[in-house]
Amino acid sequence: MSLVVDVMSGGVRGGTSIMYAALGETVSERAGVINLGTEGSMLVGALSAYAIGVESGSPWLGALAGAAAGGLLAGLHAYLVVFRGASQFASGLSLLFLALGLTSLFGASYVGSGLKHGFRTWDVPVLHAIPAVGPILFEHDPLVYAGYLTVPLVWFVLFKTRIGLLARTAGERADSLTVHGYSVAWTRTGAVAVGGMLAGLGGAHLSIAYANAWFENMTAGRGFIALAALIFGMWRPWRVFFACLLFGLLDAVSIRLQGVALPLVGQAPVQLIQALPYALTVILLAGFIGRAVAPRAIGQPYVKEH
Amino acid sequence: MTASALTELDGAGLDGLGARAVKVLPGLVRWGGALAAALVIFSVLLLVKGVDPFEAYSRMWVSTFERPRSVQEIFVQMTPLVLGALAVAVPARAGLTNVGGEGQIIIGAVAACGTFLMLADRASGALIDVAMLVASMVAGALWAGLAAALRLLGGVNEAISTLLLNFVALDVLLFLIYQPWRDNPVGQPTTKELVDTAKLPVMAAGNKVHIGIVIALVLVVVVHLALNRTRWGFRISVAGGNAEAARRAGLNVGLLVVSALMIGGALAGMAGMIHFAGVEYKLRPGFGNQLGYTSFLACWLARHQPFPIVVAAFVFAALSVAGDSLQLDSGLPGSSVNVLTALILLAVLGFTTKRKVSRA
Repeated sequence: MSLVVDVMSGGVRGGTSIMYAALGETVSERAGVINLGTEGSMLVGALSAYAIGVESGSPWLGALAGAAAGGLLAGLHAYLVVFRGASQFASGLSLLFLALGLTSLFGASYVGSGLKHGFRTWDVPVLHAIPAVGPILFEHDPLVYAGYLTVPLVWFVLFKTRIGLLARTAGERADSLTVHGYSVAWTRTGAVAVGGMLAGLGGAHLSIAYANAWFENMTAGRGFIALAALIFGMWRPWRVFFACLLFGLLDAVSIRLQGVALPLVGQAPVQLIQALPYALTVILLAGFIGRAVAPRAIGQPYVKEH
Repeated sequence: MTASALTELDGAGLDGLGARAVKVLPGLVRWGGALAAALVIFSVLLLVKGVDPFEAYSRMWVSTFERPRSVQEIFVQMTPLVLGALAVAVPARAGLTNVGGEGQIIIGAVAACGTFLMLADRASGALIDVAMLVASMVAGALWAGLAAALRLLGGVNEAISTLLLNFVALDVLLFLIYQPWRDNPVGQPTTKELVDTAKLPVMAAGNKVHIGIVIALVLVVVVHLALNRTRWGFRISVAGGNAEAARRAGLNVGLLVVSALMIGGALAGMAGMIHFAGVEYKLRPGFGNQLGYTSFLACWLARHQPFPIVVAAFVFAALSVAGDSLQLDSGLPGSSVNVLTALILLAVLGFTTKRKVSRA
C-alpha cells in the first residue's frame, strides 16, 4: 500500500513540470500556434528560476523569473511565426537549439552549486490527513498546488471569458476575428507568450522544487512529453491534466522498476514503459481510443485577405 | 516599381550570367545581413562571458578550417546531415512535414546493428555492409510508413506523428542497448563493436573521411533528378500542391503520399546505417543525438532543394566542429555553439521571409 502511495505521489511531483508545459501548449495551440520550443521555454525557465533563486534567496522570485524567461523565448517564436510568417516547426526547433546553447553557456557556473532556498514541502492542513489521497495529492511543494489551481484557471479563461473566446477563435476561424475588428496576430502572440510563461514555470518547478539543482539539458525531453500529453488530453485542460498525471505515474513506475526482475518477462523493460506516453498518444491519434481533433487553423500562418 | 521588376529591367541589358547575379544579389545581401546579425549578437554574449569575440572567432576559424583533421571531421559530420535533410526534402515536395528524421535515423541504425549481430562472423564484411544498408533503408521506410499509414487511414497530421515516433524510436534504442544487445556489464552500455571488415572504407589511409560522403552526394543528384526530371517527382508535387486537383486528374494521391514519406524514411534510415558503420561502430545512449532535428533545420535552410542542402549541411557540420574550438580554446561549454547555430537560423527566419504576414 505505502509503495503504491509512494509511486503515485512521485507521479504527481514528477508530472507537475509536464503539466505546466502542457497547459501552456494548450493555450498556444488553441490559438493556432504549435510551439516545439516548449522544451526550450522549460529549459530557460529552469535556469532563470535557479539563478534568481540562488542570487535572491527567494524561490518565489525564482519562479517569476522562470515564467518571464519562458514567456520571452515564446515571444520570439510568436514574432517569427505570426509577424514574419516563418515555419512553426523550423522556428520552434531553432528556439530549442537557442535555449540549449544559452542555458549551457550561462548555466555552467551553476552546475553543482547548492540551492539553499528552494521550495519546501508544505502539507495542506486537514486535507493531507486523508488516508492515501492526502499523501498522494497534498504533501507537496507550493508549485504543485498552484498547478492544481492553474488547471481550472486555464479552463475558465479559455472557455468562459471573452479573451478565451478570442484566443480559440484565432485557432479555429481566424477570419471572423478580423471581421469583428480584432487582431489575429496580437491574439496569437498573447496566447503563445502565456503558453511560454507556463512552460517556464514548469521548468522552474523542475529546478527549484523537484531536483533542487541545475544541470545541462535537465528537462530531458519533458517539453515533448507535454506535447504528447496535450494531444492525449485532446486540447482540453482537464483531460490534459489527467494525461499528465498518467504520464507522470508511468515515469514514476518505470523509475521504481529499474533493475527489478519481473515474473515471465525477466528484467523489467523500463525503457519500453517510458515509450508508452508517445506510443499511446499515436494510438489515440489514430482514432482507436477516441477522436482527437486539433484546432482547425493549427500550424497555419494567417494571411489577411484584401 | 517593385524590386523584382527593377532587377529584371537591369538584368535585361546584361548577359545571362550577369543577369542571374543581379537577380540573386538581393537574396545574398539579406543572407549576409542575417549572418552578420547572428555573429554580432553572439559576440555580445561572448563579451558578457568575458571572452574576446574577435579572438574566439579567429581561433574557431583556424581550428575548424586550417587543420586537416578538422576539415575531415566536417565532411564526416555532414554526411548523415545531407541524407537526413534529403529525408525531409522528398516528403516536403509532396506537401508533407517529416519531423521524424531523428527516429528514422535511429531505427535505421538499430536495423543495421541488428543485421550485423545476426550475421556477425558468418558473412564477409562486404556482404554485411550490403545487408545492413538494405535493412536500414527498409526499417526507416517502415517507420516513416507508420506515419504515412496513420495519415491515410486516420487523417493524422504526419508532422505530429513523425515527431512522437522519434521518442518511441529512442526508447526502443535504449531498451536494446540496456538489455538484449548489451555487450559490457559495467560502464556506459554499448553493443558489440562492428567487425573491422564491415566498417566503411576511408578515402585514404590515415584520413577520417569515409565513403559515406560519396554515397550522400550521389544521392543528392539522384534525388534532384527524381524530383525534377521524373513523372513521379512531378506527380508528388502536384499532389502536394493541390490534392483535390491531383485527384480529379486521376492521380492516386494516397499512394504518392505514402511513397514520398517512405522514401524519405529510407534515406534517413540509410543515414543511420552510415553513421553506425562509418563513425560510431556501436550503438550507445545518445547515438546520433539530434542529427534528425539538425537535418530538418538544414533542409529548411536550403528551402528543401537538394543542391543547397549540401551547403547547409556543410555549414552546420562546420559549426559543430567549431564548437569544439569554443570549448578547447575559449573554455566555454561545447554546446554553446548551439547559440550561434540558432541565431543564424533565427536571423534567416526573421530576415528572409518573402512577405510579412498579417500585420493587422
